[in-house]
Amino acid sequence: MTFSSRTQQPSHSATNILIRIGLLTAGCMLSLVSIVQLQRSLDHRTDRTIAQIEELAQLPRGEYLKPALLGYHNLGADILWLRLLQVLGKKKNTADEYEWIFHAMDVITTLDPQYDYVYYVGGVVLTNIANRVDLSNRLLEKGFKENPTVWNIPFLLGYNHYFIQGDAVKAAEYIAAAARLPGGPAYLPGLASRMYAEANNPETALQFLEALWRQTQDDGMREVLEKRVKEVMIERDIRLLESAVNQYKGKQGHVPAKLQDLVTSGYLHQIPEEPFGGSYKLDSKIGKVTSSTHPDRLKVFRLDKQGSV
Amino acid sequence: MKVWSIAFNTFRENLRDKLLYNLLIFALLMIGSSLILMRLTLGEFHRLILDIGLGSINFFGVLIAIFIGIGLVSKEIEKKTIYTIISKPVARFQFLLGKYLGLSVTLLINTAIMTAGLLAVLYLQEVPVHGVLFKALGMIMVEFMVITAVALLFSTFSSATLSAIFTLAVYVIGHLTPDLKAFGQKMDGLSQTVLEGMYYVLPNLERFNLKGHVTHQLDVPVSDLLIITAYGITYTAFLLLLASVIFQRRDFR
Repeated sequence: MTFSSRTQQPSHSATNILIRIGLLTAGCMLSLVSIVQLQRSLDHRTDRTIAQIEELAQLPRGEYLKPALLGYHNLGADILWLRLLQVLGKKKNTADEYEWIFHAMDVITTLDPQYDYVYYVGGVVLTNIANRVDLSNRLLEKGFKENPTVWNIPFLLGYNHYFIQGDAVKAAEYIAAAARLPGGPAYLPGLASRMYAEANNPETALQFLEALWRQTQDDGMREVLEKRVKEVMIERDIRLLESAVNQYKGKQGHVPAKLQDLVTSGYLHQIPEEPFGGSYKLDSKIGKVTSSTHPDRLKVFRLDKQGSV
Repeated sequence: MKVWSIAFNTFRENLRDKLLYNLLIFALLMIGSSLILMRLTLGEFHRLILDIGLGSINFFGVLIAIFIGIGLVSKEIEKKTIYTIISKPVARFQFLLGKYLGLSVTLLINTAIMTAGLLAVLYLQEVPVHGVLFKALGMIMVEFMVITAVALLFSTFSSATLSAIFTLAVYVIGHLTPDLKAFGQKMDGLSQTVLEGMYYVLPNLERFNLKGHVTHQLDVPVSDLLIITAYGITYTAFLLLLASVIFQRRDFR
């Protein structure tokens, strides 16, 4: 044994060691390259966004997660928020995903009940993009309870009640509550009082929408709001046109054959432009005006039939 | 005087510990990483810096307190260097106190360095700094003092590995004690007494956690701070006295 090892000793010459180091380095590089390749093929196999949303769905309830974070719950809320944003950034989410997004927001706001920005984004996204006003209201009510001094939470609750649920009285109460809080825009008190007085007036609604539009930074959200503004404009125009038609009918005894007759006989200065680029049409048998792009009128303002919404 | 020289030597010994620098550098990297993460978030950018910064200071400080604290006494016994000290006219409690103070000073300087890192990031991002930040940092330091005392206590009668596990366990339990009380109130009779007894005896580390107050700029009244500090110091004193009692009776073989 000793003899053989002695004879091998000289063969460990400088070149031999260099070769060995070279081989080891090559092995190192090779394994590094394979690690990267394997990781990439794994990424290709499993769709990351699906995985992320599934993670959100499996998030434990905030009540249980909070003690497990050992006092780092604020940081936990930040990290969950970061992950949630990666999902919210997707163009379109399915209905199930919005349930989970709500769940994640619920967990975040349980970890840190004062994280008011999450309530705000949640309220806007769940109402306008997910069409889940019930979830939006639940999140916002929770936020309002925890943060009674943040004005834009009751403001959004007012929006939900006014536009989605058609409950103008409740909406006006929320806007009035928002108006009493510090930091809110100066037009809130006026808006609240107008909402109390004329719950189904499109002009009031337009002012409300403009207020919300000014609040919002997100481009996607602004697009949704601009669409809503145009829908309300259609409602306003149709009311204007129909009242002119009624005047015409009262004077002339019959409904005009076409809308242009209202202008030629002086009941209107001009026919308003349809905001979506379509046109207004008059059903000369019954005297009703419709828009070519939005044949159904907005529900919210048919408050003459209050409660049926 | 004897206490101070032991403390000073402990401090110098800590400075030679590579673990300390590892943890410190890692903490500073974490604080710096908030600058990158900040770009990914939406809404309150400041809060991410503050949460990550305070979280890292707290977490890595606790790691330093535990992993250096457990070696304070057991390492001396292992290397037999304890004989040279114990044979001198130094009372055993003086030895323990000196060790404790030495690590506390190390932690204080570490916290100061990490705080400087956080303040630099805050300054770079032009985040307004409120007084409550320093209050929270002070309370984090008080928490370190309690954890160090726990590590020292375990270090007087068990091996370094076991002490590390025990101290980590106390750290976890210390943040869950409010639940103990809540569970106790739902029970009755003996179990309630036992759980409430445990609640009052175990350290309630959640009291030192003001990180959320910094994020939301909620001020803490000075009287509250004084009571929390008094609680921390009294708890530390209790642990050090208990450690002295155990250490006094211990044989070194």
